[in-house]
Amino acid sequence: MKPDLMPNNQKQTAPKTKQKAKKKRSDRSLGYMLIAPSMILILIIAIWPVFQSFYYSMFDLRLNNPVKSEAYVSYKVNLQTYLDNYPFLISSLEDEVDQATGKTKTELEAIKANLEKVDAELKADGELSSKYDEIDEKLTVMEPISEELAISDLDKEVALDLEKAVTDSSERLRELKGELQNPEDVIGLSASLKDSVITPNFIGLKHYKENLTDSRMWKAIQNTTVFTVISVFAELVIGLAIALLINKAFFGRGLVRATILIPWAIPTAVSAFMWKYLYDGQNGIVAKAFAEIGLFDQMTDMLTTSTGAMFAVIFADVWKTTPYMALLLLAGLQTIPSSLYEAAAIDGASKWKQFLKITLPLLKSSILVALLFRTLDAFRVFDLIYVLTGGGPANSTETISILAYKVMFAQTNFGEGSALSVIVFVCVAIISMIYIKFLGRDLLNDR
Amino acid sequence: MNKKAGPMFYVFLTLFVFLVMFPFLWVLASSIKPVAELFGDRAFIPFTNNMTGENYESVFVNYPFLKYLWNSLVVSSITTVYAVLVASFAAYAIARLNFKGKTVILGLVLSVSMFPQIATISPIYIVLKNLGLTNSYLGLIIPYTTFTLPLSIWLLVTFFRKIPFDLEEAAKMDGASPMQTYWRVILPLAIPGIFTTAILVFISAWNEFLFALTINTDDEFKTVPVGIAMFEGQFTIPWGEVTAATVIVTVPLVIMVLLFQRRIVSGLTSGAVKE
Repeated sequence: MKPDLMPNNQKQTAPKTKQKAKKKRSDRSLGYMLIAPSMILILIIAIWPVFQSFYYSMFDLRLNNPVKSEAYVSYKVNLQTYLDNYPFLISSLEDEVDQATGKTKTELEAIKANLEKVDAELKADGELSSKYDEIDEKLTVMEPISEELAISDLDKEVALDLEKAVTDSSERLRELKGELQNPEDVIGLSASLKDSVITPNFIGLKHYKENLTDSRMWKAIQNTTVFTVISVFAELVIGLAIALLINKAFFGRGLVRATILIPWAIPTAVSAFMWKYLYDGQNGIVAKAFAEIGLFDQMTDMLTTSTGAMFAVIFADVWKTTPYMALLLLAGLQTIPSSLYEAAAIDGASKWKQFLKITLPLLKSSILVALLFRTLDAFRVFDLIYVLTGGGPANSTETISILAYKVMFAQTNFGEGSALSVIVFVCVAIISMIYIKFLGRDLLNDR
Repeated sequence: MNKKAGPMFYVFLTLFVFLVMFPFLWVLASSIKPVAELFGDRAFIPFTNNMTGENYESVFVNYPFLKYLWNSLVVSSITTVYAVLVASFAAYAIARLNFKGKTVILGLVLSVSMFPQIATISPIYIVLKNLGLTNSYLGLIIPYTTFTLPLSIWLLVTFFRKIPFDLEEAAKMDGASPMQTYWRVILPLAIPGIFTTAILVFISAWNEFLFALTINTDDEFKTVPVGIAMFEGQFTIPWGEVTAATVIVTVPLVIMVLLFQRRIVSGLTSGAVKE
């Protein structure tokens, strides 16, 4: 081999591979650039909230309670609340001291001294002290105070002292109620003063422990499972039957397809209200029809008994989503070549055998995908039940999403509600994992 | 496909279509009855001799229904445009470009689309509340990304994959940059797919209930599904208005579905069927 050929050879191949590598690299960087906006949005708006829900679920978080309205991991003091009450409490106490006699007087003086002592402790911290003055000034001129300024971190010891002092004074003043001139004033002020101390509301996994031993939660899981299993099964069977029947050329195909789509397209909340009208105990035509054929003893049973209500909810869901299921399965059916059936017919296979040996195996992945989406949708069910029954009667149709919503927004207990929503999330994750195990990588088929 | 349809088949078909449509037909018949005929013996007679439009009038006069419709339209349109636009870039990259981690990203998108909404609501609600975005259009458009973006990416990827690769190669040979190829070659061919995606995204945003219920509680910003659900009075339900409102919401949907049924079906079934 001549040595001078080597560089020549390299010269010829190097630019080509370089070009290829360069193209690959540019493809890659362009690819990442194009998916970046979507990924960032999904991370912020969908994935972060799930983690944050889990974080919230470990706190005693109550939006309507000022000392528990956020997740606090450390001791804090709300100086605004403090200064809104403390000066007035002290001056009211002074008035009381002036008018009291004997034992009450010494008792009141002790309370006052105790409060003043912790007040001095608060002001001993340089940063806190300057905030203290700033807020005090703003309060006198009635300027609005930002939350950042109002709430500051507090040393654990000072916080505990402060908490003890305000709780003690509040208790002792209540005991002295009979001896005081204006008991409402001092007792009210000392009670409000308690709201200025913010103790950490981290409670670990307590919400989970409580939920997992709560019969209402298990009832909700049970309701959700019953609803999901029955409705999805009925939708699959009826949907498959419809798909098989309309899988042929016929007049008015487009029109039938459009009719099928309407229940799917209408907002669930609206269709739920429509069914509520049809199920009504006095003037609901469907309730009357079901009562006439003997499904219920009385028309009113439909929405006032637990089995009636569960049946009503499942029936409405089957009506709304069976057509959708049928469409998905129909699309799957149309990919099965008719030559297979012809060959089977020549071999003398019966229709039923053809269905078992050709249709079902070839439709397997379509069925599984449809089942996956439907099961997850049914498990998350919210609007249909919220509008149709509200979870009633007597929580008999309360699903886990409805329960989580009620705990969060009706009881404003965000900590416990978040724990419930994490439980929903875990259930959904488990269900999808089971399906994906069956489906394998089919779902993400690359090309 | 080549099986012939017999007369029995049409009987069955008519029955099936009637059963599916029955609730709508009944509600339509009820909505034009005077309120008195919605109760008592006349409640079960579908026809009335005293046809009236009073329920329809009342929906617009006694309830801010027009406002609800407008709110739904604004929120759903903006959500659709922005979700489909952002998703089209990502879908193009996943379907047409070669880079590591594509399958993982697609898997992530799919799993996000399976997230239960209730699992994201508490942080989203608290953040929007702290930002002062509850009771605003943006307060719904932002959280609607959680389901519209994965849906759009998922659908668009399947549409983009169907476009022949030769065209792209040809454009590259002619010296077009990847961005030029996207705008000049791929996008025009993908318009039908993008349109289909937009229809499905629009419907899903229009129908959303949980976020709308919790975030926009003010009548000024309520959307149609929540607005109708809240028609319920404390003691009685105004059935006349409810049926009329249901008809008003359903009619445009029926028209849309009739016009675009082919597209909607192709959108619904793409990705769900392995070819």
